[in-house]
Amino acid sequence: MGLANYRRVFENDGLPQVLINTAVWVAGVVFVTVVLSMALAQFLNKDFPGRRAIRLAILIPWAASVVMTTTVFYYMLEPNVGILNKFLVQINVLDETFGFTKRPVSAFAVAMAVGVFVSVPFTTYTILAGLGTIPDEILEAADVDGVNRWQRYTRIVLPQLRGTLAVAVIINIINVFNSLPILRIITGDLPGIKADTTTSLTFKLLTLYREPALAQALSVFNFGLVLVIIAIYMAVTRPMRED
Amino acid sequence: MNSTQRGIRLIAGMAGLAFAATACGFNSSSDSSSNDSADDETPATEGASEDTEGTSGGGASGDITMLVPAYSDQTKGLWEGMIADFGKENGDVNVELQVESWDNINQVIQTKTQSGDAPDILNIDAYASYALDDLLYPVEEVVSPEVLEDFEPSFAENASLDGTMFGMPLIASARSLFYNKDLFEQAGIAEPPTTWDELYEDAKKISELGDGVVGYGMPLGSEEAQAETSIFVFGNGGSWGDSEEITADTPENVEAVEFMQKMIDDGLTEPDPGSQDRTPLLNVFKQGKIGMMVGLPPTVTEIEAEFPELNYGTAAIPTADGEPVTVGVADHLMAFKNDGDNQEAVTAFLDYFYSPEVYTKFVDAEGFLPTTQSGSEALADKESIQTFLELLPSAQFYPSTNPAWPNTQGAIQQQIGTIAQGADPAEVLAEIQGAAEGGF
Repeated sequence: MGLANYRRVFENDGLPQVLINTAVWVAGVVFVTVVLSMALAQFLNKDFPGRRAIRLAILIPWAASVVMTTTVFYYMLEPNVGILNKFLVQINVLDETFGFTKRPVSAFAVAMAVGVFVSVPFTTYTILAGLGTIPDEILEAADVDGVNRWQRYTRIVLPQLRGTLAVAVIINIINVFNSLPILRIITGDLPGIKADTTTSLTFKLLTLYREPALAQALSVFNFGLVLVIIAIYMAVTRPMRED
Repeated sequence: MNSTQRGIRLIAGMAGLAFAATACGFNSSSDSSSNDSADDETPATEGASEDTEGTSGGGASGDITMLVPAYSDQTKGLWEGMIADFGKENGDVNVELQVESWDNINQVIQTKTQSGDAPDILNIDAYASYALDDLLYPVEEVVSPEVLEDFEPSFAENASLDGTMFGMPLIASARSLFYNKDLFEQAGIAEPPTTWDELYEDAKKISELGDGVVGYGMPLGSEEAQAETSIFVFGNGGSWGDSEEITADTPENVEAVEFMQKMIDDGLTEPDPGSQDRTPLLNVFKQGKIGMMVGLPPTVTEIEAEFPELNYGTAAIPTADGEPVTVGVADHLMAFKNDGDNQEAVTAFLDYFYSPEVYTKFVDAEGFLPTTQSGSEALADKESIQTFLELLPSAQFYPSTNPAWPNTQGAIQQQIGTIAQGADPAEVLAEIQGAAEGGF
């Protein structure tokens, strides 16, 4: 009986696409988020006039509710009333408004962009905290030894950030993997399951398909999946390794 | 130490429970489990009922409880006023009213029936599961013959299970074609279309007006794709099946969906109809950018309030051969047997409610369509619902008495929009059929 529910989930023709989506979603959002955040953190670590204001501004996407932020993006890109869509037409980037959120591939890309947008603040602040722990003496010593800026970043700063980055990546993986609201709002009304991850598919199974048994089976699998993803990440990068 | 062990046991128990629930599946087991719990509760319920029996005498007297959803802000007031008027004539019967929101009412009624505390009268859409559990009076036992004969035959049939009527149709909703008269004039079209050929031609002429004007608004997003699809399926003589069997992939249905896809592919609908929900699209219609779209009775009131300058008309929905058909939705009253001592009081109240005057006032105020013949006659002059009333006799319904219908409906909502992305109609309908038989 129980295994039958799992079998019904895995026999679905659409599932491979959903698994690929999940991988793209997690890897893409987390990678772009971390790269952007590393750059931003480096910038915010410098002393410059108005730094406090900029630091606060970067907090806003984090402080605002994800549902609200996503809804704003969704309506900005809406083909009939969206201002961003209208703007793109006015500056002649588009001939007519485009249904960014109405087609699986573009909607999924929009969702990933929003995912990055809401994940960057937390990640930036985590890395910023990490940068704060690097003793100035080490950096000064490096300068004295005559390393250039790039070497200073890759050889000295990055190794010191290893633990911080590990935490940021793992928390982001879990957050992004389990994130429902963004996909629910942006791709939730799309027909079919072409733009779903395993998490948003679980929700669809429960609500739209009215198949709580299948949703449960998939969510058990989902939990296992996130453990596996983290295990792979730990095995590949070994972020906690002490050199 | 002790509490730690308890904690571990609790976690293990919960994990076990989760797996057990997965293993059994909710679909098949929920009925039997609810029966089990009802049996468990029986002794307690009987004890309680004996107590109340002492106070309620013979004849039409006693307390009855009533659970209704709020259709609008005025629903509660309407029922309260009616109960007060009823009380003046039937002082011995006391009606206790409970009003819940649509979001809550299914949960409330589930809890109440499972704990043996069902209301005497319930207002909701689906009656079949309660009838199958033998909780309801057949309608003929709780209303007078006059009331019974007054129900519109199509609704009475929709409220029957194996020939026995268990639901009393309360209000109805139907669809009709809304068309923009200004756009029709600009495109040089004199009359709204009645057949699919005319629909196609007219939609083409209107969409050729350019400037973002859409010929026919086809909302296939998950909000209510089943209604939009049914309009075409029913319009081609197809159906989704009956209480016994779901038939989603019949040749008629495939043909209907193929016609929908043709309209989409030829650019006669809004862009990306597969992910367009009904409510936002209706707003575009209200703004005068859509030539034709299917709407509901409340749409009339909404346009009146929000866009009174919109020059539009309502007409019968075009079908393959021009024979009018519409998608009907009906909500029902139903009478629970409970201890069996409430029959006379319930009958007194229901007869009062369905007397033409009282009933018409209720339906009129809520802005829906009547489900009784006398109600239809009384409201025949109400202009805003005229087209809908004329279409009512040709209303067809979802097979909502079929236990597989909720899954089928979910699959339609989810899958049908893929025809706008090039999916093959026959394959999509086959998938929906598969969902009815337990896939997804």
